[in-house]
Amino acid sequence: MQSELRKKLLDAFTNAGEAFLSGQYLAELIGCSRTAVWKHIEELRKEGFELEAVRNKGYRIIKTPESITADEIRLGLTTNIIGSNIYYEESVESTQKIAHHLSSENVPEGTVIIAEEQRSGKGRMNRTWYSPKYTGIWMSLILRPNIPLNNAPQLTLLTAVAIVQAIEEETGLQTEIKWPNDILLNGKKVTGILTELQAEADRIHSIIIGIGINVNQKMDDFPSELQDKASSLSIEKGEDISRSGLIRCIFKNFERLYLLYLEQGFFPIKLLWEGYAISLGKNLKARTLTNVIEGKALGITDEGVLKLEDETGFVHHIYSADIEV
Amino acid sequence: MLKVQEIRELIKLVDQSSIDEFVYEIDGSKIKMKKNSATTVVSQVSRISPEVELVPAIQQAPAKQAVSASVQEIVQEAAKPEVSTQADTANLHKITSPMVGTFYASPTPDADEYVKAGSRVSKDSIVCIVEAMKLFNEIEAEVNGEIIEVLAKNGQLVEYGQPLFIVKPE
Repeated sequence: MQSELRKKLLDAFTNAGEAFLSGQYLAELIGCSRTAVWKHIEELRKEGFELEAVRNKGYRIIKTPESITADEIRLGLTTNIIGSNIYYEESVESTQKIAHHLSSENVPEGTVIIAEEQRSGKGRMNRTWYSPKYTGIWMSLILRPNIPLNNAPQLTLLTAVAIVQAIEEETGLQTEIKWPNDILLNGKKVTGILTELQAEADRIHSIIIGIGINVNQKMDDFPSELQDKASSLSIEKGEDISRSGLIRCIFKNFERLYLLYLEQGFFPIKLLWEGYAISLGKNLKARTLTNVIEGKALGITDEGVLKLEDETGFVHHIYSADIEV
Repeated sequence: MLKVQEIRELIKLVDQSSIDEFVYEIDGSKIKMKKNSATTVVSQVSRISPEVELVPAIQQAPAKQAVSASVQEIVQEAAKPEVSTQADTANLHKITSPMVGTFYASPTPDADEYVKAGSRVSKDSIVCIVEAMKLFNEIEAEVNGEIIEVLAKNGQLVEYGQPLFIVKPE
């Protein structure tokens, strides 16, 4: 985890913009010696930051590395809750596992665990999520909302909306949501979301949202059997995308929607979700553990449940299924 | 077809009477009550129809079938000698679903169930997963004890508050 000093240092550079900050100023601001400031600056350089140092003026950051360390994400981050605490790892089994562990140690709400690589990323029903190094965003977000447990699944739809909005803001790409929260670009999956809940009886202890986004993979990076089903933002856009910029934008949009949700409930989120939904009004197949239901997608209920009208006019309420468009 | 209230009335009457056994048959459905070692043994099991993806509000169509199914279950339950007496039931713990969603008995489709009847559990043992909209809720036993009965089927839609397991606490 990032030290408090490092956070303050990067916040200072965020606020300074293009301006230089003197070693003396930074030392006073973060409450350490100028030698300690110099050591922090050297560590930033090792992480790939380029800093310009000018005598009698001080330091400024001129280039940031394309990794997604806590420092890299912190610089430019404007949120208060989401990403307030960032754990960065080079390579992990699964960020969800670490999040579970941290959650039981009562880390604050908004804590994010992020990794350059997941060796066994988890999908629905323990399907493996393909997450190679340095190419995507693999992270888990810990929330502790004071909401009825029965409403918790709504947050998975909220997450999809936040990511769709962030992708559009950062890249101009318009993605769509397939119920409940897969994100597709030109019909191929670019994002998966899996959420786990920890509760004692009816009380939510934490909600852990696992997010996997294919950002800069090239077509060759995907196994051949996935090439017509999955893609990356970079493949569709034709250029590489800054992962840290996208992460900050996701945090920003998530925080805004989350606060809106806590204040006004699911209704405003539902309207946004339906605006991005790929399949409303169309026929689709819902494959459940026990059967397959075909019908027209009418929309979602106020709880986020998919309404599917079959050919007899009967409306099925779908809580769990793989949707085939 | 008898209403639940009427069945309840019948149980009371049989209980207070000197009758040992009572059978009532109509339209192919059958209710059978039998006194067992001086205690009336009747177990009312109300289950929602097994169709997984339906919510109760729109289940009116197969209602008749569902009711006869549950009456059939009453017959079966009542016939089981090991079904607990009323005194015992008070001590049993029910693990209920904290949300509406799909009940999964095992972590993956091809893995073993988390627990079966007879499994020993401790407070933090995971007994099943309830999932809705890709939110997975691992349900813990909350008591130390032994699983007496698994009430839900793998893949079934369960309601908020619906009993999933009966545990005999230790």
